[in-house]
Amino acid sequence: MYHFKGLIASAFAAALLSSTSPALADFWSDAAKGLEGTTIRGISESTPPSNYAKDVLAPAFTKATGIKVEFEATSWDQMYDKAIKDMEANTGIYDFVYIEQDIIYSYLARNFLVDITAALNESPNLKSPDFDVTKFTSFADNFKNEKGDLFGVPMEAFIKVYLYRKDLFEDPKIKEAYKAKYGTDLAPAKDHKEYRQIAEFFTEWGKANGQEVFGTTVQAASGHPASVYEVVESIFPTFGVYNWGIDTKTYGASVANGGRMNSPEAKAALNWWIGNLAYAPPESTSSTWDEVAATFAAGRAAQGLVYGENAAWIATDPNKSTVVGKVGVALPPVQPGVMEQASSGEGYIGYYDGGAFGIPHSSKNKKAALLWLQFIGQDSVQADWALAGARITHKATYDDPKVQEQDKKVDGYYTLMREKGPLFRGAPPFPFHNQVREAIAPFFYQAITGELKPDEALDKAAAAADAELKNLGYRK
Amino acid sequence: MRSSSVGWLFLAPTLLILFIFGVVPFLYVLVIGFMQWNSFAANPDMQFVWAENFRRLVFDDQFLYSLWLTLKFAFFAVVSEIILGYFLAQLFMKDFPGKGLFRTIHTLPLVIAPIAVGATWRLLMVPGLGPLPYYMNRWFGYELNISRYIDQAFFTTVVMDIWHWTPLVTLTLLAALSSLPKEPFEQAQIDGANRFQIFWHITLPLLKPAILATVFIRMMDALRTVDEVWMLTGGGPGAATRYIGLHIWRVVFPKTDYGYGSAMSLITLYLTIVMCWMLYAGLVARRDLKRAE
Repeated sequence: MYHFKGLIASAFAAALLSSTSPALADFWSDAAKGLEGTTIRGISESTPPSNYAKDVLAPAFTKATGIKVEFEATSWDQMYDKAIKDMEANTGIYDFVYIEQDIIYSYLARNFLVDITAALNESPNLKSPDFDVTKFTSFADNFKNEKGDLFGVPMEAFIKVYLYRKDLFEDPKIKEAYKAKYGTDLAPAKDHKEYRQIAEFFTEWGKANGQEVFGTTVQAASGHPASVYEVVESIFPTFGVYNWGIDTKTYGASVANGGRMNSPEAKAALNWWIGNLAYAPPESTSSTWDEVAATFAAGRAAQGLVYGENAAWIATDPNKSTVVGKVGVALPPVQPGVMEQASSGEGYIGYYDGGAFGIPHSSKNKKAALLWLQFIGQDSVQADWALAGARITHKATYDDPKVQEQDKKVDGYYTLMREKGPLFRGAPPFPFHNQVREAIAPFFYQAITGELKPDEALDKAAAAADAELKNLGYRK
Repeated sequence: MRSSSVGWLFLAPTLLILFIFGVVPFLYVLVIGFMQWNSFAANPDMQFVWAENFRRLVFDDQFLYSLWLTLKFAFFAVVSEIILGYFLAQLFMKDFPGKGLFRTIHTLPLVIAPIAVGATWRLLMVPGLGPLPYYMNRWFGYELNISRYIDQAFFTTVVMDIWHWTPLVTLTLLAALSSLPKEPFEQAQIDGANRFQIFWHITLPLLKPAILATVFIRMMDALRTVDEVWMLTGGGPGAATRYIGLHIWRVVFPKTDYGYGSAMSLITLYLTIVMCWMLYAGLVARRDLKRAE
């Protein structure tokens, strides 16, 4: 009898324990034991995905773990400036830093970052059951070393797409006027000639109708690297010039040294891009990626190349955008042959941008930061994040009903990213990214102001890149 | 002997702070100026390269252009501020209705942080959308676009500097004007001197120490201007407003070329000292020497 009572008591206790044993959601409080009250500090560029992490995910993480997150979302320049200084001086101010896809190679070369895979293997009690690297899209490969170890947890990934005003492109009167003038149907441009034609048409149409609508956006800030990026990462590839025109084996930039930065194709690309300024709003010469998105959202341009992280809010947020429900999404226009090169993997048609959060070696709270990075890398937080920031880092996110619903509102942006993403590519694996960009930037700025002809600017930029690469010791 | 020790004891904290925050960084920059050191180079370690960085500077078109541009900026800004500041100081010496309010408003820019001044002017000047370009175009058909036209950008930075710093000149000269003795002016009036003669032979010589001090302060400030211009134009369009401080910042931080940037800083410091000395020698020392003879 006593034995029976004991069995019942044991069964009851077991049932009670099982009902209160740590479920998946309790992993965070268990893993964070002893870390409650710790504050981790991080820095990122102020973008829609970063702001979502700051405003939504960080408080949720604090609630789950008791670890506070101080999240500094600042300008792109300041973000790099502060993060690099902190990691170089080993001061340990930041426990996690934003790593844009294009800077990871510089950071790895300097051994700034903690090997997340190794760190989790060393501390299995910190390994979340919901964090699985295989669930990420192939974008995560950008943040792995040659052994396949992860150095950054992807938090945003998007493509720079061709946005156009669907309402204008589908307006029967406008279509008729376009056909009457050019003899062709008005449709999203497939090549540069068509793009220019459309830009010219809408600029004239805007003037004729007393509307502040211009033909195109141009990310042509004349004193900010954003303009250099637009040319080398988004325009050059559409003319068949890849990797900024720098030979990835010899590190030569000029044609004379095996590069293509001042090749005829590159010159055609810069001439075309500079020529677009005539059909762009006046703010274009002070526009970085943010202002381009703002210009499009304000309804001031009929088409443009816009960073995809902005696509969602431009197309759906009436508090910020005047073109809600009027946005069309397409692939960028390319020169003949470029699409075939991209399809075969030999080239690409545009920029696949994004970033991750990594932990600097200088961090003083690596364990707490490891938990935070896994928290943002869970499948369960991805869908809402994708809605807020038009970014997708997990394969499963594409199939989430919320994302599919949003996909319809943004004219299939997510589907385009899923299906055509492989046609785009991130920055080349250069460890000297910022250095070469700064060396060539002045000549691009002078091309924008007209102080230099585009051809002359590229000759000078290529020579400057060659000199810088030699000075840095990469080119013999 | 004892009082001297006590004096040094009281001075010690200040000297220590000066040494730590003034002398040590300067020595560090001096040493780095002779190194090749870029943390993202194939060899990220510091390498002693003798005076190679200084030799490179002589042939660096961008550096020389930045230097020339900075001198031009300093000249236009400081001269305008001194002239405008003097007239405003003279105005404030007189009584007129609303003088207190006007003086307060006039002094307000002085208390605004340079970065906020840059941000304010940037909002004012956003091409096509900011109030100034918008109304210039609407009322006069004039295209004001400081991100496209280099002369407009340069003169906008000069005007911004004048707007920000003229109140300092006004206040300094106002204090100097208020403290001038009345007798020489009364004497000159009795002797029949006209207003220009009084200004040239009495006011200006008496104000010279104050003007000179103001010119030194403003010139040194103008030569190292960074934050306002960085916020307004980022050094553009092209290199139109890439003043030397901004140029050095770009070389040292985004480009992480610490050795070369340090050499630039040292040369700029040297040139600033030389210019101040020349100005002092030209305006003060020569007159003092003549007096001694």
